[in-house]
Amino acid sequence: MSNHHKSRRYHLINRLFSYELRSIFRDPAVLMFCVFVPLGYPLLYSFIYNEEVVREVPVAVVDDNRTGLSREFVRKVDATADVNIVAHCADMAEAKALVRERKVYGVIYMPTDFTRSLARGEQVSIGAYADLSGMLYYKAILTAATNVSLDLNARIKVERMPSTTNEQDRVTQQPIAYEEVSLFNPQAGFATFLIPAVLILVLHQTLLLGIGILAGTDRDKGRNRLLRPLVKTPTALASAVAVKGMAWLLVYLPVSVYVCGVVPHLFSLVQLSSPLHMACLFVPFLLATIFFAITISYFVRHREAVILLVVFSSVIFLFISGISWPGSAIPPVWKAVGYILPSTFGINAFIAMNNMGASLMDVRPSLILLWVQAGIYFLTACASLWGRARETRQ
Amino acid sequence: MIQVIRRELRRMATQPLYWLSMVVFPLMATLFFTTLMGEGLPEQLPLGVVDEDHTSTSRSIVRNLSAFQSTATHIAYANPTEARKAMQRGEIYGYYLIPRGTSREAQLQRVPTVSFYTNYSYLVAGSLLYRDMRMMSELASGAAARTVLYAHGATERMAMAYLQPIVIDMHATGNPWINYNVYLTNCLVPGVFGIFLFMIPIYSLGTELKWGTSGELLRTARGHISHAVLGKLLPQAIVFLLVGTVIVLWLYGYLRFPCHGGILSMWIVMCLYVLACMGWGVFLFTMAPTLRLGLSLASLWGVLSFSICGMSFPVMAMHPVLQGLTWFFPLRHYFILYVNSALDGYPLLNAWPYVACLLCFALLLPLCLPRLRTVLERYCYVA
Repeated sequence: MSNHHKSRRYHLINRLFSYELRSIFRDPAVLMFCVFVPLGYPLLYSFIYNEEVVREVPVAVVDDNRTGLSREFVRKVDATADVNIVAHCADMAEAKALVRERKVYGVIYMPTDFTRSLARGEQVSIGAYADLSGMLYYKAILTAATNVSLDLNARIKVERMPSTTNEQDRVTQQPIAYEEVSLFNPQAGFATFLIPAVLILVLHQTLLLGIGILAGTDRDKGRNRLLRPLVKTPTALASAVAVKGMAWLLVYLPVSVYVCGVVPHLFSLVQLSSPLHMACLFVPFLLATIFFAITISYFVRHREAVILLVVFSSVIFLFISGISWPGSAIPPVWKAVGYILPSTFGINAFIAMNNMGASLMDVRPSLILLWVQAGIYFLTACASLWGRARETRQ
Repeated sequence: MIQVIRRELRRMATQPLYWLSMVVFPLMATLFFTTLMGEGLPEQLPLGVVDEDHTSTSRSIVRNLSAFQSTATHIAYANPTEARKAMQRGEIYGYYLIPRGTSREAQLQRVPTVSFYTNYSYLVAGSLLYRDMRMMSELASGAAARTVLYAHGATERMAMAYLQPIVIDMHATGNPWINYNVYLTNCLVPGVFGIFLFMIPIYSLGTELKWGTSGELLRTARGHISHAVLGKLLPQAIVFLLVGTVIVLWLYGYLRFPCHGGILSMWIVMCLYVLACMGWGVFLFTMAPTLRLGLSLASLWGVLSFSICGMSFPVMAMHPVLQGLTWFFPLRHYFILYVNSALDGYPLLNAWPYVACLLCFALLLPLCLPRLRTVLERYCYVA
């Protein structure tokens, strides 16, 4: 009899597996969110941020000094990659008018006594103004002005030294030299910084949407009672959830390869990890996300409602993961909320391995937590399915 | 029309999804962002230090480094490899390397090199640490020279004028503290709000088709399509306007975010934004008159708004095609109006083209009506 039962159960599992796959591929909404969005959306995002950095920010100059040295400073600022001087204004009022029309994003002001103070051996300050409408504008203007001032400072220092040798000049300019190295994102670019997190989030959110839509459809069509035979015994329930998970995993492994393997390659983003190591991350990440999605799909009243529940959370999940806003500055409450989400560990581990070349050992805490989440959410997913099956719908 | 309004109010009251997405989620998101970035500027970021020099000079560099605002008390590592590994584990955002013999060589005037490594995978944290470490390197150089100058009898003022003849006095106008909460929340909150502003009109019109109640709706409106649609949108608009008002009051009244043009102008901008987004939502539904497609388009638009509005990554650095597309995103206009009115304090009229754009979005509604009638009369629900 046990053989008969076994073969019946295998038969049931097989049918459930193919049923789940069929419903994924037959539902236009699920197809759109789980195939087309992962296909297209990362491309669109990479296209937006493809330039990585902002160059030639338009800036106005007010030169109240009008000497050779002040003009040299302005010329050198103009020559930097960051800033483009588009207007020389007679006074601040004129410059402000340009800011007001948003023709320039910042103003550099050379004070009247610029050259005279320098000749007297006094310190002189150059005003630089930018509104904080974009951090990158501010950064570009600050970087350009600072670099030029350091350059001129070094020269002025040497000029002030009484007759010296070249070697002594070099020491005077900078007794201790320094070297700056940007690791893992050499050009400090925006795409390299943001895209990897977005890629993981695309997988996470589309899974929540896809699984939620299917659950909502079941409820719409009153199919939840069909789940009843699946939840009769704990083993049947567990295998039903596992089979669901496996079906989604089968669909999402190739999607993940495309989203996190092919897309970064297409846009020449950093890729430092090996496929095998990536698999060690993606299996627990996808499982945790799938079971998390099955869990929360309990709350989906009907098919389209899930879109309203999930889409807005993307930005919140992104910030909670500690990529945009440094993790060390996130208040404990929100950090705790972040521990609930598979995306938090998925994003951090993916960036560590893919962008920073971390080994599996380095990201071990994240991987362990993802497996723990997968385990816990497996149980809650069972509870969710059980609850749905017991529901009687009007 | 009163009947339609009453009917819509009943629908809104009986479905928790309406209240969640019209009131609870937008306000929750506001609370989330304002508390998440409550610090304003991230402080005490963990930084690694590799001090192979072990002299009083190197120790003083390290001490000074941890005195900076953004930099946390450093974590010492024995060698660069250890520091790099800590960086890969995500424990530190950067490290400062003082090689063996730095101070000896500085005294011998052999120009030693110190170096610092910044992890730009975390752009904000990386940039802040970079600023501190670079400043420190300049100071380290200066400190060596300053000792000599003092010995020659220079006063501090003379010494500083010699070491740094030109200084840059950088002003972030409108947000002088470089408060990231002000910088980001001002755009993220309307962005999240916008997602619901797009979606709720679509949802409420689409569910009429889904539940086969569109005929009943038209009957209640006595066949006037304008009454039917306006009657449905009016209660939603009122709730959204109230939520928008709460957000404006919370940001500019309670948290005292800079609002140089006066809170009234920001309130007007917010109201325009609410109406514009709702208008655009109806337009999207008219273009794609199924619940699923409409909501999908709305989510695409809503999520894309964050990137394309130019708050994080400037529009001028995007592909020209995308620069043109920005005009179709209400959040872009909201952002420019916010910069104009709240940050820079210019009157609203100064940025009238953007006000006009928002109005155009809202005025899409009458254009949609004829087609909406066809949709509500003839179309049926597609899963």
